[in-house]
Amino acid sequence: MEKLKKGLGAAAGLMLLIAVLSGCGKEEKQGGQSGKEFVYVPEYANLAVSCDYMNSITAAGDYIYFTGDTYAEEEGGEYRSSLYQYNLLENQVKELMKLDEESNKSLSSMAVAQDGNLVAVFNNYEDVTDENGEVIDSKSTLELCRISTTDGSVSDTQDITGALGESEWAYVQYLCVDNQDNIYACDGDGGIHVFSKDMQKLCDIKADGWINSMVTSREGDVYVQYYGNGSGTEFRKVDVAAKKLGDNVAGISDGSFGGIYFTGATKSILVSSNDQVSLFDISSGTMEDLFKWLDADVNGDNVNIAGELSDGRIWAITRDYGAEEAKYELIYLTRKKASEVKEKEEILYGALWLGSDLRKKIIDFNKTSDQYRITVKTYMTDDYETGLAQFNADLTTGSCPDIIDLSSIDFHQYASKGVLEDLYPYMEKSGIRKEEYLENVLKAFEQDGKLYGIMPQFYITTTLAKASLIGERNGWTLSEMLDFVEENDPENVFDYASRASIFYYCIYNNIDEFIDWETGECSFEGEEFIRTLEFAAKFPEEYDYNQEREEGLSSKLRNNKLLLMQTSISSVQEYQMMNGMFGEPVSFVGYPNGEKKGNLIQPASGSVGIGAKSKHKDGAWKFVESLISEEFQDSLVSEHGNYGFPIKKSALEKQFELDMKPEYYEDENGEQVEQMKTSWGYDDFSMDIYAATQEEVDGVKALIESCEKLSGNVDNQLINIITEESEAFFKGQKSAADTAGVIQNRIQIYVNENR
Amino acid sequence: MHFFTGGKKVKKSGSNQRTRRGKWIARGYLFPSAAGVLLFFVLPFLIVFFYSVVDNPINRQFVFFDNFVMVFQNAAFQQAAKNTLTFSLTAVPLAVVLSLLLAMTLESKIPFKSQFRTFFLSPMMVPIASVVLIWQVLFHYNGMINEILTFFGRDKIDWLNSSYAQVVIVVLFLWKNLGYNMILFMSALSSIPRDIIEVAVLESATPFQIFWHIKLRYMSSTILFVTIMSLINSFKVFREIYLLKGDYPYDTMYMLQHFMNNTFNRLDYQKMSAAAIMMAIVMVIIIGILFLTENYFGKDVEE
Amino acid sequence: MKMHKGKYKNRVLLEENVSRERWDKQVKRKKKIRDTRQFVRIMLGTFVAACFAILFLMPIILTITNSFMSASEISANYGQVFATTDTGGKVYVSDRVNLKFIPDMVSFSQYITVLLKSPEYLLKFWNSVILVVPIVVFQLLVAAGAAYGFTRYRGRIKEIIFFLYIILMLMPYQVTLVPNYLVSDWLHLLDTNWAIWLPGIFSPFAVYLLTKYMRRIPTAMIEAAQIDGAGEWQIFRRICMPLCKGAMCSIAILIFIDYWNMVEQPLILLSDQEKHPLSVFLSKINAGEIGLAFAVATIYMVPPILVFLYGEDYLVEGITYQGGIKG
Repeated sequence: MEKLKKGLGAAAGLMLLIAVLSGCGKEEKQGGQSGKEFVYVPEYANLAVSCDYMNSITAAGDYIYFTGDTYAEEEGGEYRSSLYQYNLLENQVKELMKLDEESNKSLSSMAVAQDGNLVAVFNNYEDVTDENGEVIDSKSTLELCRISTTDGSVSDTQDITGALGESEWAYVQYLCVDNQDNIYACDGDGGIHVFSKDMQKLCDIKADGWINSMVTSREGDVYVQYYGNGSGTEFRKVDVAAKKLGDNVAGISDGSFGGIYFTGATKSILVSSNDQVSLFDISSGTMEDLFKWLDADVNGDNVNIAGELSDGRIWAITRDYGAEEAKYELIYLTRKKASEVKEKEEILYGALWLGSDLRKKIIDFNKTSDQYRITVKTYMTDDYETGLAQFNADLTTGSCPDIIDLSSIDFHQYASKGVLEDLYPYMEKSGIRKEEYLENVLKAFEQDGKLYGIMPQFYITTTLAKASLIGERNGWTLSEMLDFVEENDPENVFDYASRASIFYYCIYNNIDEFIDWETGECSFEGEEFIRTLEFAAKFPEEYDYNQEREEGLSSKLRNNKLLLMQTSISSVQEYQMMNGMFGEPVSFVGYPNGEKKGNLIQPASGSVGIGAKSKHKDGAWKFVESLISEEFQDSLVSEHGNYGFPIKKSALEKQFELDMKPEYYEDENGEQVEQMKTSWGYDDFSMDIYAATQEEVDGVKALIESCEKLSGNVDNQLINIITEESEAFFKGQKSAADTAGVIQNRIQIYVNENR
Repeated sequence: MHFFTGGKKVKKSGSNQRTRRGKWIARGYLFPSAAGVLLFFVLPFLIVFFYSVVDNPINRQFVFFDNFVMVFQNAAFQQAAKNTLTFSLTAVPLAVVLSLLLAMTLESKIPFKSQFRTFFLSPMMVPIASVVLIWQVLFHYNGMINEILTFFGRDKIDWLNSSYAQVVIVVLFLWKNLGYNMILFMSALSSIPRDIIEVAVLESATPFQIFWHIKLRYMSSTILFVTIMSLINSFKVFREIYLLKGDYPYDTMYMLQHFMNNTFNRLDYQKMSAAAIMMAIVMVIIIGILFLTENYFGKDVEE
Repeated sequence: MKMHKGKYKNRVLLEENVSRERWDKQVKRKKKIRDTRQFVRIMLGTFVAACFAILFLMPIILTITNSFMSASEISANYGQVFATTDTGGKVYVSDRVNLKFIPDMVSFSQYITVLLKSPEYLLKFWNSVILVVPIVVFQLLVAAGAAYGFTRYRGRIKEIIFFLYIILMLMPYQVTLVPNYLVSDWLHLLDTNWAIWLPGIFSPFAVYLLTKYMRRIPTAMIEAAQIDGAGEWQIFRRICMPLCKGAMCSIAILIFIDYWNMVEQPLILLSDQEKHPLSVFLSKINAGEIGLAFAVATIYMVPPILVFLYGEDYLVEGITYQGGIKG
């Protein structure tokens, strides 16, 4: 007894200690953006050198080294490449050497040695010619060398071609130097090859996975991060003495698959995920989160490289890959007391998950607005339901988001609870007339005449069939669809058809057909549902992707070997291609449903609404307004127009105009000949796209106008119940009627509950 | 005034003072718990009450008892209430009776008593998740039980998707809770004064008479206790059902907690709260009745 | 363990020694006639108990033995039951399930994965410990005080409060989960372990059990002490606590088991997944990881088993006194 007492006492004391410690540790993180003691303020600098591509960037102290490629138009459209040394403190650049002298030799990676000079690997492609001088083969050799950072001279060149393993095409993916000046070369196959200071091979070490990153820590050890065999990400030291990888370093790579690692200046390693920047201390195994990229107006997706400067600032080089004109930006982030930074009105943006388009838009908004600042809270951790539960809980507390991302939630439910604000009055107040927008698309987010959400861009999900087979129509009921298929060719409905996909097609956008929300009656035991079950059961459980495809998709469609094709239309060019693919007029019949409105609207880059309980509605509206502003809508017009249609009529017209504008080239006789704008392909089919005709544009317009409903606004619960239970029938364990009975039973509860 | 009572009075007031002081100290002991309960149980319950009289957690418009009427008329709620009631009314008495029988079996001089006791307690140790895995294996359409049924030439039963579903959860509940209940009864049985039974035996009372008139009487408060514990545990079965069949099980397995959980997930706090309060009222009544019955039966054996 | 058992028996014997002797003498005469009947009854009782024991033990044995099966053997046995669709719902596959007690080949592969390859499991296990142990310890401490408060100087108001405790204890946590979230948010406890600890520590459950028990302590005993000049603290510390030791242990076991299996609270109150206990992970395990689930479950079962082996006698002893208790 005495022992137990002591034990309990000790345990209690220990736990109390832990409790207090962990409780306090967390308290600091609490409290959102405004409660933070320090913030990182971005400062943008133009790179002192202009180049189109920066490659092999490596950082050491306050310097970075990289090869810059510049497209030299006046010199016959060739890339010119140089090796640069860049002083980040002074923002000065020094060209160390030109690399384009030998065109088939390229610098593939480099690292900075202890003495401050560079260690680099050159890749040398040589054509092998036979005795007649004709090229019969090519081979690649790898050279390891040192490059002086004072004059750019190359020394100690060593051929290491064979040293990276058997493969003829071995290459060096990452290069690192440790504090002993040993050189670590990582090939693309999980192998790490270590060379001594005098470039003699020391050992080969193999990681059992694809190496994602190799980094030298501040202490001078080299670490690799790789995707272990089924065990997630691993972060291990490359132990040259033991000729193997060390133990997994816990706490650095857990969960952050997108993390990239750089040598730290104050702690071992600087970790940048697409979300935030942290410092990791290897000896204590602790991670210190510095800041979220988003809070510093930086798009974490675009960060190429980042590091710490000796003056304590963080720097990063970003490149916006999505932009039409991608350019590199150098950003310095200075840590400042939150109180010193100009206060902006804070707007909370709540999203289960933040899409990249909206993320970009938020960063742009924050950069340009001096009045408001959007902070983002994302709820999704690993599973949808937990994230949703926390989101819901927040809606009822004081931390209700001002802007609500509707991209992955069912807006109807929230609108009817009064969570969302009607946006029409705001439009009116800002002098935006709804007639300027595609009203039927706006209406997709309407309920009882109120507008609860807005999407800047959309595309259409639909199903196509030959007009000669089903006639011109924009929708059909489930029984019409089943009749049609059974009359024609019940075997071949869709390409890659499986039980699940067919069933999904029939039910997913059609659930209201079986549920009468007025009376609360369900009709899953009815003939139609059972017929659907039986119909779907005829298809294989899973499409056998290994089977040989004798005929391509377009050929099958043309020869009536397939009846329907599910696709989405997000541009006029896509419309043109679909018509071409069938080789004859196409009917956009869409998904079966009771109202015969088969074509469905899908937001192309997310959708947002305003929280009805928000205290910053004006700021929230400013952001929402920017999504439908003329300027932004016009920026969505693009030559290929393949992301979706803008929602503003004037922008859509501009898009159409662009699509209809022919492109010409001058032939040898000096005459203007129309040339193709681009070329599209799908499966076996490819097609050159020329300027669209008025008829085609009208077709797209008609298609857009035929849409009314959002796609997939069904509670997953219902779909889960149906798929879960229907499996018993598909496996032949139960009759269709019994299965339908169970489905009816379970869904009935759902329906009753929601009445 | 009353001269001769003066001395007494002084004495009494002295002890009164002490008692009063003691009372305050005793209240002090109660304080931490009372404060915590107030903050983490009563206050939340008041919030529940608040939600039950507003239209929804966002708008918070006062609607009197509309929610109660609405929920009471809701078919899903009725179903859930019916199921919960049937379940509790079958499972709890069964748990009490069966565990009492088990306890009496173990009380008779069978060998390996303590081993059996440990075995019966073992379900408490198994993590819920693996309980659910094993229950799936047993009661799945292709599971073990149906294998056995087909072996004996019977038809398969879809245990989890038919009216048998209640049976499955009752079995699950009994399996989990019999052991603990049994222990409670065993200790109660062993604490019945022997001499009373001896006297009864000497007076040629039948074992049944001994059981009915003596043992049961002495155990009345244990029975109440076991009933309350079983009632608590009968509400905890929800977790297993939930892990077995998710938010919307077959209707015979659909419990009040499903209703609350689902309405909670859909931000219909007002429905959840109204249901919770109705449940609480029923609970007060049931517990009240149990207390009264116990008072009636057990009063002559209490000190 | 054995020692404790001995202790327990001795105590019972001592207490009942006198009556036992008398009883033995008088009953001996009748006993002979009943011996055969008694034997049959014992056999029958043993048989029934054994049947129940097998049923009761099966899941625990299955969990342990199946954790030694390789992933392929698991999927061969249970593939039918646990296949999943894209949407995550459990679906029916194939036609037979094979419940096996003994693995074809003992494999430690699941354990190697759990213990060596992925430290997350151990981390989550540690989370469970951090979350549960303080709750058990402090709920007992708080409850001991409260029970004492309820026991001494009983009055109408206290009885009403105690009844309220019972009602609150009986409420399923679905009811208070949302308001708890609100309260935690208000107190800035969200995402910290405190959000789990505090409601756990102040749960009325232990108060109810302990009060029930403490009220069995004869008032005479306490009054005697009081007359001897003992203050409330002395009575609490020197009389109530020693007498309640067994009950405290048995309640500790119950609380431990309850919170060791918690799922809902961490899911709602801790958004940081790294803080979630292993029980949450176990409850969300998906079909591909059944084998792993058995291994994790087996490891997860170790603390409850230890607690039981260590405390089973307290569990019995604690309630022996309890006998009949009345509110």
